Amino acid sequence: MGSSARKKKEKQKDFQKPKFKVGKAKPKPSNFTDTSFKAKAIVMGQQSLSTTAPDAVQQFKHSFSLASSSKSDKQRQEALSYLTGQLSTEPPVNPVGTRTLLAKLLPLISDTSTPVRGQLLKLFRALPAEQVRHSVETAIMFIRAGMTHLSADVSNDSIGFLDWLLDVAGEDVVSCPGGWVKTLNTFSAMLGWTATSGQNGWSSGGRSGPVRGKTSLNQSRTIDTLVKFLRIGFEPEDSAPPEPEPFLKSIYRVPRDPNAYAYLNLTGPRRDEDGTMYGDRETRQQVFHRRFLEPISKGADAIKKEGGTSGRAAAGLDQFLHSPEGMGDYEPSGAVDMESLMDLW
Amino acid sequence: MPKRKVAALEKIDADFASLQYKIRRDPQSYIDDFRRQWNQYESQREIFLVAPTSASAEATESFHNLVDLVAHVADCYPDETRTFPDDLKAIISEHHTVLGPELREKIVGSLMLLRRKEVIDSASALTCLFPILVSSPSKTFRGELFGKILGDMRNSNAKAINHPLNRTVQTVLYNLITADRASPRAIWAIKLTRELWKRQIWTDAKPVDVMREACLADNEKVVVGAVRFFLGGDKEREEIEDESSDEEVDLSKIRHQMGINKKSQKQKKAYNKAVSKVHRHERKKNKPHPLNFSALHLLHDPQEFAEKLFTKHLQNTKAKLSLDTRILVLQLVTRLVGLHRLTVVALYSWFIKFLTPRQQSVTSFLASLAQGTHNLVPPDVLEPLLQKIASEFVSEASAAEVAAAGLNSIREICARQPLAMTETLLQDLVQYRKSKDKGVMMAAKGLLSLYREVDPELLQKKDRGKDATIGLKTGSLTSRRFGEEDVGEIEGLDLLEKWKEEEKKKKRREKGLPSEAGSDEDEDKEEEDGFNSDDWEVDSDDSSDSGGWINVSDSEDEAPATKKRKASGDSSESGDGNNKDEENDAEAQKEKEAEIQRISKLATTTILTPADLAKLQELRASAAIDQALGPSRRKPGQESSTQRHADDGLTAEQIEAPARLRKLTKEEKVALAKEGKPEREEHKSTQAIKKSKKEAAGKSTSNREKARKKNFLMTLGKAKSKQKRSLVETRRVLRAHVDRSTRGGRKRNFA
Repeated sequence: MGSSARKKKEKQKDFQKPKFKVGKAKPKPSNFTDTSFKAKAIVMGQQSLSTTAPDAVQQFKHSFSLASSSKSDKQRQEALSYLTGQLSTEPPVNPVGTRTLLAKLLPLISDTSTPVRGQLLKLFRALPAEQVRHSVETAIMFIRAGMTHLSADVSNDSIGFLDWLLDVAGEDVVSCPGGWVKTLNTFSAMLGWTATSGQNGWSSGGRSGPVRGKTSLNQSRTIDTLVKFLRIGFEPEDSAPPEPEPFLKSIYRVPRDPNAYAYLNLTGPRRDEDGTMYGDRETRQQVFHRRFLEPISKGADAIKKEGGTSGRAAAGLDQFLHSPEGMGDYEPSGAVDMESLMDLW
Repeated sequence: MPKRKVAALEKIDADFASLQYKIRRDPQSYIDDFRRQWNQYESQREIFLVAPTSASAEATESFHNLVDLVAHVADCYPDETRTFPDDLKAIISEHHTVLGPELREKIVGSLMLLRRKEVIDSASALTCLFPILVSSPSKTFRGELFGKILGDMRNSNAKAINHPLNRTVQTVLYNLITADRASPRAIWAIKLTRELWKRQIWTDAKPVDVMREACLADNEKVVVGAVRFFLGGDKEREEIEDESSDEEVDLSKIRHQMGINKKSQKQKKAYNKAVSKVHRHERKKNKPHPLNFSALHLLHDPQEFAEKLFTKHLQNTKAKLSLDTRILVLQLVTRLVGLHRLTVVALYSWFIKFLTPRQQSVTSFLASLAQGTHNLVPPDVLEPLLQKIASEFVSEASAAEVAAAGLNSIREICARQPLAMTETLLQDLVQYRKSKDKGVMMAAKGLLSLYREVDPELLQKKDRGKDATIGLKTGSLTSRRFGEEDVGEIEGLDLLEKWKEEEKKKKRREKGLPSEAGSDEDEDKEEEDGFNSDDWEVDSDDSSDSGGWINVSDSEDEAPATKKRKASGDSSESGDGNNKDEENDAEAQKEKEAEIQRISKLATTTILTPADLAKLQELRASAAIDQALGPSRRKPGQESSTQRHADDGLTAEQIEAPARLRKLTKEEKVALAKEGKPEREEHKSTQAIKKSKKEAAGKSTSNREKARKKNFLMTLGKAKSKQKRSLVETRRVLRAHVDRSTRGGRKRNFA
């Protein structure tokens, strides 16, 4: 009953006349602050009022931001495929530039969703090669991170990314700071070929027993990519006599190479042995001989004995290492090896 | 932000926790997995360092997880993770301003973890974290770092004091304070030092030196912090010690619970823990008490320090310190002056301008002045101050509180330096004991009784009182000259002497000899005997075999002595003639001299054995108790003033104390009346409130209550049958009742 009475009262409230008061208004307190304001126009923050569809540039940027930061896998994948379509038109539409695109999209290499990674590789393949060269240093960093990822899928897909990068800018990959030794380190860790010398115990570590199926396939793929990487690294420099014309030109011009004076390392932090640049074949061979040759050939031998696809790939690696374009023509010159001398300290 | 869905298979893969578990179980087998993670960590770090500010949330999180993993297993692979601590240090010290809160917390936590695993040592961890603590703009991060640093300091000092580390940190703190005296950064040094002082980790002179430098800083906050340390740090330390010793464990209760409750492993563990705790407590009790000097005593060259403080913060008119801060500094300076008996002559003339009733918090100034007075202050320096206080505060026109405060402060000053008072002023001030106000009256009486003891000659004859007059006549009460000091002696030595004499007499009586020694020869022999090996050891002394008990002698022992004294006093009072007085005088004089000689003989001619010292301690304690319980109890006010320890400072409350005697306000009265009474939200009887409380506490009702609540119909049958009882039955019942009540009821409470 009580509630109905209340309701009645509430209803009546609407029909009550306001009582107007006579006399002066109550004086404002001394600390009163006037918060009322006037405005000529009111702007709605979130509303788009345009009648026409957004132009291509806007759309590109929108899907670009979706691809790099959306929370949903599906959305990211779709945005990436849209971007791929835009990039593969003739002429390609890319209002933000390859460098920005790469900077935002490279972290997706270690994305957890497989379709996103597949689409990302397609997008990267659509990028112009000569522009990718400028971002090789960042790209190889993210690819290395992907290769050592805890999830096997991610690390296997990263091999695909490395393949792509070697295709478009192989020479830059092996000569950029950290590109040679760190990447080889990563390969060794992936394949489990790290030198465990000096540690002899009951458990020697490492995977034991043959690997089958998909894992084996992945392993062979990794070894193939390693061979490719080494091949590019050990490629002899052009020994053709430099033509006088371009040489003269290049003396007085700003160099067109990406990061031409990188070997001076003017601004970055001090590099250690791993992070330094290995600019020519000989130094790369030296480092490889000193640190990687033994564990890699050992590991390759072990896998060769297992046979199968990975065994075949390992055989290819072994062959390459002994061929003259690999390490076949390298003679260790002990006296000149400065690095080993430095190790003595 | 919702988390991205992770596929089931991936989840198993990406489980850092299980990987960590496996690695810790068998580091050798999982070295490959670790190498991959290490490479992953390296590449993530590279990516992160390229752009620490704009790293995405995911990249940060994965880096966070990797750091966590590597830190937990770093001790398994010392070779591989050689660079890890330095990497972390570099990241945190270069990028701590831009790192996210979680990541930086993780990095700091990992560093501390490495420290606990002893991969790195404390000094290197702390020298990395301390500069960040000082420079970080984030308050939460600073708090966190402070906690971490403090925790590490405590841990590394837990088993044994880690002197090298302490020295390093103290030097860092000292340098921090002295490097830039105007910067507020030194506040962290103060906080750390104070905390470690409080926990008795640092107890030596070096931290005191750090604080001393901080007192002379230019920044007000730093000065306040350091000064507060000197004024309150030691009290804080004592309090925390008391607290920690309060935690007592009742073993019997736990044992009882174990008997009742279900037996479980957990309970067993809890019991073992409690037992070890009790053991630890006992061991701690048996340990000798560590010598903890207060910070004020450990100060190096207090004279210079007090002078510097005074000239820098007080005398200097350009010093921009607030009044509260200045009062704090003043308290410290005067405390030092009073405690170490320093001579800072400029201090007293500086006081003059603050001694008016209109001065803000004048009681603090008055207390400081009294605190800064000691018996080596020249009286003519204090005289104008006393005059000023008397003229400004103590007059008929001024309010009662003001007059009381003035009189109290004058008393406190004169208690420390009685020579500062002049005869006319004293006689004037003493007149206020007739005041209507209780506070003023008590203050004036206090002053009067003080001068009855220290220098009754300044008082008028009628005010001197009986004891003082007698003392003056006999010459036992003489005013002290400037700079005169008590002759140093061993407290309670006369008691020991007396006790020894009695023992000797007892022995002689046992042997059947007259109680007094016949000749010197005999005595010598006795003394020779006294040095047998039995008496040397503490435990062999048969009188102390009662353990820790102190024999409190009855006041009867004391009574005859006082009576005798009274009698002698009476006789002198009656004043038969001058010659008798003189005789008394001479006698007293002789006695006194003899006693002095005897005492000095005991201390100088014999070696006090450990047994003697133990006895001395015992006698001293019993004498103190006698004095406290004895009939010649002193007045409460005086007692409190003498009981106050000389090292404790004087506070404004003690100057104001009698102001509390004024009438209470209504609120105060209500609060006083309510104190100790049950809470009553509604109008209920006290009984009802008590009952509801009991019920809330889960207690059962008493038998009486049960009987009262019993259903009426249930009681009816018994009542009826009572009426039908025969006389014999009634007799039996009554007898049984009496029997029962003598036994203590059905429960046999007496048995």
